Amino acid sequence: MNEKIIQLKQELGKAVIGQETMIEGLIIGLLSDGHILIEGVPGLAKTTTINALAKALGLDFKRIQFTPDLLPSDIIGAQIYNPQDHSFSIKKGPLFTNLLLADEINRAPAKVQSALLEVMQERQVTIADETFKIDSPFLVMATQNPIEQEGVYALPEAQLDRFMMKLVVKHNSEEEELEIMRKGASKSFKEVEKVLSIEELHTLQNELEKIHIDKELEHYIIQLISATRDPAKFGLEKIAQNIMFGVSPRASIDLYKAAKAKAFLRGNTFVTPADIGYVIHDVFRHRIVLSYEARAKGVGADEIISAIVETLPIP
Amino acid sequence: MKHNLGKMIKLFIALSFVLVFAEDFTYSFHLDKQDPYLKEPVILTLDLNQSNHDIVLMFNFDLQKSDDYFFQRLDTQETDTHHNTQIHYVYLIYPLKFGEINISFDLIKKVTTDDSVAYSFSGDRDNIKGLVTTDTQITLPSLPLSVKKLPESTTLVGDFRLIHKFKKYKAKAYEPIPFEIKIQGSGYPPLLDNLLPKDLKFTVFKENPIVNATHSKQGTKSSVIYPMALSSDKSFDLPPIGIKAFDPKTMKSYELTVPKQHFNISKADVNTLVDKIDSPKPLESNESWFTTIFTSLLSYLVVFAAGYLTAISLKWKKKTVPRANSPLKNKIEACRDERSLLQLLIATDSKEFTTSIEKLENSLYGNTKINFKKVKQEILEKII
Repeated sequence: MNEKIIQLKQELGKAVIGQETMIEGLIIGLLSDGHILIEGVPGLAKTTTINALAKALGLDFKRIQFTPDLLPSDIIGAQIYNPQDHSFSIKKGPLFTNLLLADEINRAPAKVQSALLEVMQERQVTIADETFKIDSPFLVMATQNPIEQEGVYALPEAQLDRFMMKLVVKHNSEEEELEIMRKGASKSFKEVEKVLSIEELHTLQNELEKIHIDKELEHYIIQLISATRDPAKFGLEKIAQNIMFGVSPRASIDLYKAAKAKAFLRGNTFVTPADIGYVIHDVFRHRIVLSYEARAKGVGADEIISAIVETLPIP
Repeated sequence: MKHNLGKMIKLFIALSFVLVFAEDFTYSFHLDKQDPYLKEPVILTLDLNQSNHDIVLMFNFDLQKSDDYFFQRLDTQETDTHHNTQIHYVYLIYPLKFGEINISFDLIKKVTTDDSVAYSFSGDRDNIKGLVTTDTQITLPSLPLSVKKLPESTTLVGDFRLIHKFKKYKAKAYEPIPFEIKIQGSGYPPLLDNLLPKDLKFTVFKENPIVNATHSKQGTKSSVIYPMALSSDKSFDLPPIGIKAFDPKTMKSYELTVPKQHFNISKADVNTLVDKIDSPKPLESNESWFTTIFTSLLSYLVVFAAGYLTAISLKWKKKTVPRANSPLKNKIEACRDERSLLQLLIATDSKEFTTSIEKLENSLYGNTKINFKKVKQEILEKII
């Protein structure tokens, strides 16, 4: 594995114990220039991990706590009238940063969530009649809490699709929990230090470009994508009734990029089917729109993805 | 001559009005009597008349609650003009304590404007607009009443009569004998805690009395029915009941009575009383006491053994079922080659199999040779 990546992981390990899947997912997003949505019950170090990542990278970092009364202008900025010279000036919002933590994104209504659409896709913000480019890198890392029903709003499909991966954070193991308890009680978590500059990040991103992916695997990715849209064609009649809409073209791009990043993190110079398998759940799970039958039966997107991977032969 | 003069003075006081001028309005009281007997009805009338017609005036008025008297508002007449409010209240009052008592009042004067009234009317069910008023608490002088004591042992006050109705005088042992006593007439509602004498040698069943009362300027017309039932295993007498009453109108005492009643109780057929369904006779057994104890002991042992074995079998089941029914284990066992096993492990999305995946990858896409059966066994051990 690349030395810088090892250093980054070690630095994050100072603030976060366990949660390797989340840390690796965030690094994949960082290397592939993809936005990450993190879902997990309260207290699983979602926000802490993202904070630590921002510190370790030394990038400009802003955090927005999403609340039900938040307005689009609160995050993108607004035109302000200056009564002294009777002119309007632009007040830029917290979106103008490198790393944006949208904490508890599902607490804000759809109109605020939609304000992120342009910046997430185009890396630009339009305020009044003026459009501003956002400096690279720009990553949105959002957290959401799946257990609360009161006072939360479901994310629009268009916005979900703009997230490269949705990471589901689970509870730590008993050993990790013990370590968290001891360190938390003695306040012995160490301060995270900057270990990666923007230039070094760009270098890593360039190295990622060199990772080879075989044509057969490219074809395999397309088959996986198609299987979500037309499962019957691949002998998956059983899951056909569970899917209302399959994944979008953004999913194929993101799966391709994420698989390369995973291979890079594993220290390989080429992608294997396992690399695709490692990231496919995170890339697909928020993009598959489940049917009413699936929700009624309690079938989740992860089960559907597993069935597809299990059925389609690997190259 | 002296008596006549005294009566004339009392009559004058009773019928005279107390007219008082206050800021923005005048008020007047009138009591039809000032020295009633305890629980004798007194009629109070009160008039509130607006004197300042430049303002919109409203009133909140009522008598203050007190243990010294009971009151009931009989009538309220109010003009609907905002600048000339005139309200006429009529109250029926029963003094509940003898001696000097005071009737007290709560009065709030509410002043507002025509605009405020118009604004409050512009609201609707979904958009209620409150009427804004300037409220002033007005202290009205209390009205004194000199309440006279009732004759000794008087229980009821008013003109009442008593009706009693016994449905039967013959019954079987413990059979309830229903009866009711009804007291009706005009006066303070005849509600009594104990109608029957104490220490009776038979059982008395009581229900809550049924009360009907209508208040008017003439007093209160009421009827109270006391439903009861008696029960005993032998013949008995209900002792005579006497209720002393006093009528303030005639100023005479009288007594409402129920004469002594005799009830004949005959013995009941015990067989018809025995509950043969819920309390059947105990089974008689011809077996010896040894056989009975042995059979009971054996049955307890069998039940205990059955429970113990069930608990153990659940424990066995808990251990064996997951092994037999693990679908992933079955699928892994069904894998015939490295590719299919790799595909299955990828699909599980579990980080547990990372090492095994790497071994299979190295074998499939690299030059490393692996022992497929051994890898498979390692995976199976992780699941178990």
